Order: sequence, then C-alpha cells, then structure tokens
Amino acid sequence: MSLLEVKGISKHFGGVAALRNVDVQMTSGETLGMIGPNGSGKTTFVNIVTGHLVPDSGQLLFNEGSIAGTAPHRLAALGLTRTYQAVRVFGGLSVGKNIEAAMLLGLPGAPESAERNELVHWLRLDHRLASLAGSLTLFEQRRLELLMRLLQRPQLIMLDEPVGGLAVTEVREMIALLHELKARCSIFVIEHTMRVIRELADRVVVLMAGEKIADGPPADILRDRRVVEQYLGTTHA
Amino acid sequence: MSDATLLVLASTLSTGLILGAIFALVAAGVTIVYGCVWLPNASNGQFFLLAALAAWSLVGVGWSSAAAIIGVLVLGIALSLLIEWVLVRRLYDVPDRNVAYFVVTLGLTQIMSGIFAMSWGLWSDQFTLPPLVDGITMIGPFPMTNNRITVLAIALVVLAVLFGALRYHPYGRALRAVFQNREAAALRGVNVRAIYRLSFLLGSSIIFLGGMLFALAYSFDLTVAWTMSVTAFAIMIVGGPGSVLGALVVGMVFGFTQAVVSIFASPTAATFSYLIAMLAMLLFRPSGLFTR
Amino acid sequence: MNGRRLAFALALAALAAPFVLEGNRFLAFVFGIVMINLLWASGMNLLYGFVGLMPLMFAGIAGIAAYAMVALTREAGWSFWLATPVAAVGAALVGVLLGLPSLRLKGFYFTLCSLVIQTVLTLAFTFFPRFTNGDTGLNQIAPPDGWGGVPLAGVWFDATLALVATLGVLLSAWIVQTRLGQRFIAIREDDVLAEVMGIDVVRNRIIAFAIVSIYAAVGGCFYASYVGFVSPRSFDVLTSLGIWLCVAFGGRGTIIGPIIGTVILAPIPYLLQELQAFKDVLSGVLIIVVTLVMPAGIYGEIMRRRALRTAVALRAQAAGDPAGATATPAVAAMPGTVDAGVAR
Repeated sequence: MSLLEVKGISKHFGGVAALRNVDVQMTSGETLGMIGPNGSGKTTFVNIVTGHLVPDSGQLLFNEGSIAGTAPHRLAALGLTRTYQAVRVFGGLSVGKNIEAAMLLGLPGAPESAERNELVHWLRLDHRLASLAGSLTLFEQRRLELLMRLLQRPQLIMLDEPVGGLAVTEVREMIALLHELKARCSIFVIEHTMRVIRELADRVVVLMAGEKIADGPPADILRDRRVVEQYLGTTHA
Repeated sequence: MSDATLLVLASTLSTGLILGAIFALVAAGVTIVYGCVWLPNASNGQFFLLAALAAWSLVGVGWSSAAAIIGVLVLGIALSLLIEWVLVRRLYDVPDRNVAYFVVTLGLTQIMSGIFAMSWGLWSDQFTLPPLVDGITMIGPFPMTNNRITVLAIALVVLAVLFGALRYHPYGRALRAVFQNREAAALRGVNVRAIYRLSFLLGSSIIFLGGMLFALAYSFDLTVAWTMSVTAFAIMIVGGPGSVLGALVVGMVFGFTQAVVSIFASPTAATFSYLIAMLAMLLFRPSGLFTR
Repeated sequence: MNGRRLAFALALAALAAPFVLEGNRFLAFVFGIVMINLLWASGMNLLYGFVGLMPLMFAGIAGIAAYAMVALTREAGWSFWLATPVAAVGAALVGVLLGLPSLRLKGFYFTLCSLVIQTVLTLAFTFFPRFTNGDTGLNQIAPPDGWGGVPLAGVWFDATLALVATLGVLLSAWIVQTRLGQRFIAIREDDVLAEVMGIDVVRNRIIAFAIVSIYAAVGGCFYASYVGFVSPRSFDVLTSLGIWLCVAFGGRGTIIGPIIGTVILAPIPYLLQELQAFKDVLSGVLIIVVTLVMPAGIYGEIMRRRALRTAVALRAQAAGDPAGATATPAVAAMPGTVDAGVAR
C-alpha cells in the first residue's frame, strides 16, 4: 500500500526554482533514501512534505489522503514527522521533560511506561534523564530526537542527515540504530554519507537542481555514471 | 484660490518638506542601526530630544547656533561611544538580540525621560533656538525664512551624502554587506564588530543631527521624544527595516501627512495614523514596502 | 513537598498582613497595591515566563476592563461583582481580537506590535472621552459592595485583594503543571520543534493570551475600585513595563520569582511619591540590568548558584569516592534552572 505519494511538486523562491515537478512514492515499511548535491532541493522537499512550506503546485498524499496545506502539528497526529539537519531538542529542559513534551500529543494508544522505558533503554538515554538536553553530546541529542519521535508512534519519519556531524564510530552505531528503527516505522532519509544510503535504503531518489534524475535500488543508482559524475563528482571535487 | 489659501498651501508644503526631511533623517538613522546591528533603538526619540536640549543649553551659555550644532555632534558621538561600550556591545553575539536590545532601549528611554523631567523640565516647558541665519527669502510669491531654508538644505544634503556614501564609499559597501549577510561578510574579511560600532555611531549621529535641525526650525517640548520614537519606528517598519530608501520615501510621505493633518486636526491624529499604518504593515507584510 | 509548604506559608502571610497593617492606612494601601500588582505579575508571567511572549499591551487590556466596569456600575447600575467578570471576559475578547493577528509573530515583532497596540489604546483612552473622561480621568469610583450592602473598605478590602492575588498565583501555579502549561513551556523553548511535536502553537498562544487578558482585566477592575481614580496614565506602556519588570526582575518562568519581584518593586512608586522622575530612572536602570546582567532574575540567579554548589559538592563526592565516580552528571535539572528558560 502506498504510504506517501508526492505528485508533480514544484516550488520557487523568488525567481529560483527549488523543486521542479518532482514525483516520489513510498510504500509502507520501505526505507527511501534521497541524495543530491547541496542546494538540490532535498531539505525543501522535506519541508514541503512535513507542512513547513506550501508548494506552488502538485499533490501530496499520505495514506491516500491529501495532506496539502496541513499544519505540522496535525501531521504529527497523522503519523508523519521529521528531524532537522541541525539537531533540535528542547535544550533548556531536562531529557525527562523532553520526553514528557513528546507525550503531550496525547494520542490514544500512546506508549505505556514500560514501553517508554524500553525505548529510552534502547537509545541508551537512561542515565541522562535528569540532564539538560542542551548539555548532551550531539550523538545523544540525535538519539533523543529519535526517541521523541518514536513516542508519538509515527508511521513515517523523515530524517534530514541523521549522521551529520557525528564521529566515525558514532556513525556506525547510528546506522545500527536506524536498522533497528526500520522495524518500528517507515523511514525517509536524506544523507550525504553514501554508507548510510547503501546500508539502509531499499530505494534511492536522486535530486539535481530541483529535478528528480534517478530513482531505483541503491546498487543500481550508485553504479549509474550520471549520478557518480554529477553527485560524487561535485561533493568530492 | 485666494491669497490666504495659497499661503496656507505654501506653508503646508514647506512644513511638509522640512518635517519630511527630518523624519527621513531620523528614520534613516534608526533603520541603519536596525538593519546592520539588529538593534531597534526605541530611545531614538530621547536621543533626538537630548540633542535639541543640549543645543538649547549651549546657546543659553552664549554659543552661536552654528557652534552649538558642532558642539552637540561632538558630545553626541562621545555619548554614543559610551553607550556602545557600556550596553550595546554586550549583545553583539546573542542570536535573538533584537528583543533584548528593544527592551534595553525602552529602559534607556525611561532613564532619559526621567533625567529630562528632573533637569530641563524644571527650567522650562517650551524651548526655542535662535535662528541659524536671519532674513526672509521670497520663493515666488511665498515668503520663507532663510533659517528654515538652511535647515531644509542641511537635511537634504546630509541625506544625499548618506545615501551616496552607503552606495559608493568602501565603508558604506561593507556596511551593506553586513546588512545582507553577516557570516558571508565576515568570511570576506569585513570586521563585523567594527562595522557594528560604526553603524551605531553613524545612526546615532544622524538622529542627534535630526534633533538639532528640528529644534532650529520649530519650538519644542519634552513630549516630542515619544512622538518621534513612534514616528521613526513606523517609518522604519513601513519602509522596510534596514532600507534607507524606504526611510527616505516613507519619511517624506509621513512629513507631508503631518503637515496636512495638522491643518485640520490635532497632530496626534497624524501619530495615530502612523501607528495604524505600522500595525497594518506588521500584520500583513513585516518586511516592509522597500525590501526585496 | 517543600514547595507546597512554602505556598501555604506565603498565602497565610498575604491573608494575615492586612490585619497586621490595619493600624497604618498608608502601608495597608501600599500592601493592597502590591496585591493587585501580584495578580498582574502572575498573569504576565504566564505569557512572558511560560509562553515566551512579551505583551506590552497588558496595561491597555486592564484599562479597557476598568473603564468598562466603571461604565457598567455607574451607568447601568450593576454591582461590581457582576460588572467585573463581564468586563473581564469582554476585555479578554477584545485583547484576543487585538492580539490575534500578532500571535503569528514572535520575538521582536510581537513585542513591537504589542507596544503599538498599547500606544493606540492609550491614545484612544485620551481622545475618546465618552467613557474615560479623557486626560482628566474618572474619580470617586465606588468601592465594591460588601456583605449586607455595606461598601467594601479598609482592612476587608485589603484582605479581599490578598485573597484574589493568592488565588491568581495558585491558579497560575496549577496551570503551568497541567498539560496546557507543559505545552506553553515547549512553545517557549522552541516553537518550531513544538509544532513538529504535535502542539498547535498559534492555538495555544491564543489560549494563553485569553487567560492572561483575564488576569489583566480583573486586576484593572480591582485597581479602579481600590484607588478610586483612573486616567489613561494608569494604564499606559509604563504600567505594562513595570509589571513586566516585576516578573523579569524576580525570575520569569517560576512561580516564586514574580512574587519576589512584585514585593520588592511594586511599592517603590508609592514610597518615592515625591520623586516620580527618579522612579523612572530607577526602573529604566533595572530594566537594563535585568536584560543584560541577570536575565533569569533574582530567583533564577539563586537557583543557578544553588545548582553550581550542588555540582561542586557532587564532584567532590565523586572524587573522594571512586566507586561513585559514575554519579549523575552535575548540571541536573534543578527545578529553577530548568524553568528559568534560556537567556535571551
């Protein structure tokens, strides 16, 4: 069943086209990767799907219902959530209070305390509950970010560069965590680190100057000369 | 049209021009500092009044109006340096500093108005400066005092110089670069903190000058400070925060509005209309008319 | 719990004070004024301390309610106790209507917008004198009627104000620990993240604004009938700033902070009655000091020092006891430090 369906999305900022007629489909349980050089419109894409921006044209369907123009807080209740490229937690509150804030959504069937503890334990934040979220390491903050989303039982998490800024060993751990995350919800992930895409994604979409230029299994895409030249060529130039 | 009507028309025109130029000047001072340092100076009206009162006092101890202008400008720059050093620079690196600055300058407003009430306010409630130059010139059939012509000329020249300097002088270009993008400007080797200080000094000096020009053209009292603050903010918001062109155009429009409204109704009605214009702008287009 | 005992002690002190001060009418009057300001400050604190918005039109809303209450009692012959709730709800509606568009703004633009609205209200009070009598003001405003038709006066009026203020503070303390209050805190900390976490930011801001407007309005009605005189200057921007200062100086985002701030600052204008201009300078200096040096206020500062001491003690303990070296990291969530919010 189709979980997310994006049809013909376009977005202009002033005279600059950030996205041009982009189509993306995702089925439930799938992990979809998105790659592309800086400024190719990846974050704009996530901003549009998660209700932070309104597209100039195109259709957005989540669970086969239109979500165009739906405010982010309503999308959270529908089960569509996101993280940010620059990690975003309530830095002035303790980790425990952050968790409480995530529980404020108050959906029926929200995790009971046993399940909450299991999630906290899985993300290795048990010993940090009393600390200020802002005093956590970047990796811990990213885990807290994930935890807060999971407490809201999302069907789809859109991750904007989940390993950005992490050390090599931490990247490895994060990939392992994301692997386990796949059992809990569908994942859409923007990444620059090819390893993440290769190891996690079932399918990859390539954006280039606001246009989708490729869509397929990671192995094929990363073999595709166009992508390698355009993308790897630019980032490693 | 009768002669009387023509005369009213002419005086409205000249008042509109002078007020417009002074409004534009003060608003330009406020908007430069906001655009560059992100410092919305709510106490601009008190700075404006301080300059006028200081000039009045210098004239009172026997200085000529021209000497008083120079003296007040020097004092004003010294005072701005002091304020920059004591207050403003503490917030240069705070991300959401415009709220903090706004509150600090509201505090400054209270301090200055308290001081004015305890000092100048006890001496007099209406202040007038002797004219800069004497005599009357006939412009066509309309008489205008040379003093007001001089005031208008100074205001327009300063505005023109300011506008040109921001466009063409290297400092002006650096200032505009910081307006547009702080980080990029810093990367290109612009000393951002120095530019902050410069624009604060420049902005305050222009406000001081505006206060003295106003004092030369009109008699004033202590309430002019709050009116000026409100007007300058309204001009900045309507013209677009950071836009000097916006300050010029909207300042002129507001000046003429004030001149015209004052014929029919109390000047407060004009202030009221600025407030409403600012409110509408804040609610519907906070970026203002003259920003892209 | 310690906090509960403290709250009980403070409430008892507030309710007992009028009877202690009964002999000195001036001090009793200042006490009554402090109580009104305390009600205002705890309302302002809900919006400034917990939602993170600085509403400078606060006094204007209080003014609308005060003028409405006077009109209803004088011209329609209503009782104060009927007029006040009606005026409060009306003023809250007007406040929300005025504030509604600006609640989409934040930070400086919201504050500026609220200042503009406050200025417009002050001008309106002055230039539409039908209900306000313009700059001259309204005097001889009747006190509320007490038991058996006797007008409320003296110690019983003071005690009523103490009761109202106590209820106001307790209500705000209750609100902030409900889910609503937690949403407020999340919005204050990061409104974008709060939205993604499923919190309707604009809706919650409107709710907060409505609650706070009622605080402002009720305080305004009591102020008018207690002082017996109001003019546009009673409800101008300086009044708003003064209430804000009580909150910020005491410690925003805490319940005890605004109490400290109000008790220290609210009496000053009455004690310095001969030196109004000096009072302006003093409050200007305090505004600057609070913003630049002490953004968490007196109470926030106390809590910060206490947290630091605890941290040092914990570290010393950890160093002395290798087995305990894994002790919880130091800057733990002390209630005060957490609620004090981030420095702006």
